[in-house]
Amino acid sequence: MFGPFRLTNPLSGGLLWKIPWRLSRHQKYRQRERLRKVDSIVATLDTALARQGESMRKLVRWKAEMPTEEEMLPKDKYTVFDRKVKRYRKAIHKLPKWTRVSQRLNPPGF
Amino acid sequence: MPYFRITLMRSGIGLPEKTQGVLKALGLRKRMTTVYHPVTSSVAGQIMRIKELVDVKEVGTALNKKQMREARRPAPGYYVERRGTAELEPPQ
Repeated sequence: MFGPFRLTNPLSGGLLWKIPWRLSRHQKYRQRERLRKVDSIVATLDTALARQGESMRKLVRWKAEMPTEEEMLPKDKYTVFDRKVKRYRKAIHKLPKWTRVSQRLNPPGF
Repeated sequence: MPYFRITLMRSGIGLPEKTQGVLKALGLRKRMTTVYHPVTSSVAGQIMRIKELVDVKEVGTALNKKQMREARRPAPGYYVERRGTAELEPPQ
């Protein structure tokens, strides 16, 4: 009746995974917050190392190549490239572990 | 000497072995653990691998486990004006 293995429609066979095809506005809000959080961590690392007179190739590349949350297009914030999907874009919540991975850049032209 | 105060906010369960190895190397065993590491490029590189999972601040000094616990303790709600033992001692 209850618990993780209860008999529900998705579990009792057949293809019934009710995951909406687009993000809700609250999911989008939290996604923006996560992007900003990563930006702030990169900024923290950068200022801390600069104060020590050190620098790091990885950080320099990140700053040069990766757009910050403000610079990103909504298309890149909430969708990712997928070659198997019609029109080559799917919502980012279809990406496995999407709240714990960085996915900012997509192939140019798509 | 400045330190990075690193707190694991999101668990590394289900992430690649390399990511989980970085967490282990930094001493982050479970969520909400806090560790202090000196500000060096090698530590910064490790943080870059796990930047989606942690909260990072630059602090002046590192705290040990006992000090972190003391910092979390709420105020007792009273203060000691003077100790009773001073009254009981015979005058010199």
